[in-house]
Amino acid sequence: MNFEPVVLFFVLGVIAGLLRSDLKIPGSIYEALSIFILLAIGLKGGVELAKHQVGDLLVDGLIIVLIGAVIPLVAFPVLRLLGRMSRADSASIAAHYGSVSVVTFSVGITLLGKELLDFEGYLIVYLVLLEIPALMIGVILARHGQGQVRWGKLLHEVFFGKSIYLLAGGLLIGFVAGSEGIKPLDKLFFDLFKGVLALFLLEMGLVASSRIAALREYGAFLAGFAVVMPLFSATLGTFTGWMLGLSVGGTFLLATLYASASYIAAPAAMRIAVPEANPALSIGASLGMTFPFNIFVGIPVYLWMAKTIHASGG
Amino acid sequence: MTAQAMLLLTILTEEVLEDILIKEIMALGAKGYTISEARGRGTHGLRTGKWSAGGNIRIEVIGDAALCGRIVERLHANYERDYGLLMFTSAVEIQN
Repeated sequence: MNFEPVVLFFVLGVIAGLLRSDLKIPGSIYEALSIFILLAIGLKGGVELAKHQVGDLLVDGLIIVLIGAVIPLVAFPVLRLLGRMSRADSASIAAHYGSVSVVTFSVGITLLGKELLDFEGYLIVYLVLLEIPALMIGVILARHGQGQVRWGKLLHEVFFGKSIYLLAGGLLIGFVAGSEGIKPLDKLFFDLFKGVLALFLLEMGLVASSRIAALREYGAFLAGFAVVMPLFSATLGTFTGWMLGLSVGGTFLLATLYASASYIAAPAAMRIAVPEANPALSIGASLGMTFPFNIFVGIPVYLWMAKTIHASGG
Repeated sequence: MTAQAMLLLTILTEEVLEDILIKEIMALGAKGYTISEARGRGTHGLRTGKWSAGGNIRIEVIGDAALCGRIVERLHANYERDYGLLMFTSAVEIQN
């Protein structure tokens, strides 16, 4: 199995949390780390995007977003009918799983670096695009003819919430600057990326450790869902990437994107748009279960899936 | 100069509500407000403030009894059911 040592920082954080260490990362540092990661990922995508004809990527983008929208539409009935959860909770959790995690994606990129595999850098554009339909679908599923939706507030939250804003902003700056223009920023944003990701994962471990206990209260169904759902989504992503003719690295990253569940943008948006949903359920599942599952088990499996489909079909 | 007796309304709630509540409070006639970040534990569990969806804020508004009453009534009706929300008033004397 491929193993990326940066995930050990997550373990360090979880253990500190479980053993009640006094380790604490101040809120303002956490904010700074997340701003760094979002900008760095955006810049990287923008630089890669500048090497391509943007028009050529539109059709691929549309297909990737449409297939991505299948994820919440599958998750919702599963949660509602098999899990017997309320409409609001099912819709909110479905939105979290349709939406994506930048940190999971980043761990995937570092693994590709270690494996010396290339990937289509413009995939980062889809990271931004995939976030939007998932949240919309979540709200529509939750409301479905009952109660009014604060659409204005929700759209503002989606587009100007820091995640999408910084990712899109980074993309634009990277695109305008190109790989030559961005050189002076390389040392900060690209060379230090892995170290900052390690610090961020330490904090994620601390937060996740407090969520694992919450998840236990909601039983085996949700825990099972949090493991099976990403595997289903990753399979969808692997086929989609392969069909679109992406490289092994690109196919793997698309699978990782589909498999990841949001725990930064989606919780804030859902709290506003679907207030009656219990946030402990969705965050417990996505952060307490799916995130660790993805970085330890999922990502190596998705890489294996991408390699296998390319070896057999290519 | 004599001190002026007023009420200080303190609202403890979820950070995600900040923009929405400020709009409501100003529309109800408040002259201003103060917001600070807060952490703690209550009926909605531990609020660590570790990431944006998990933090609390403390909103303070100074006004007469009528204003504070209007704000409490509106927030109670619209947000009490789904969000962590605690409101209380205390008597204050404005010194300047």
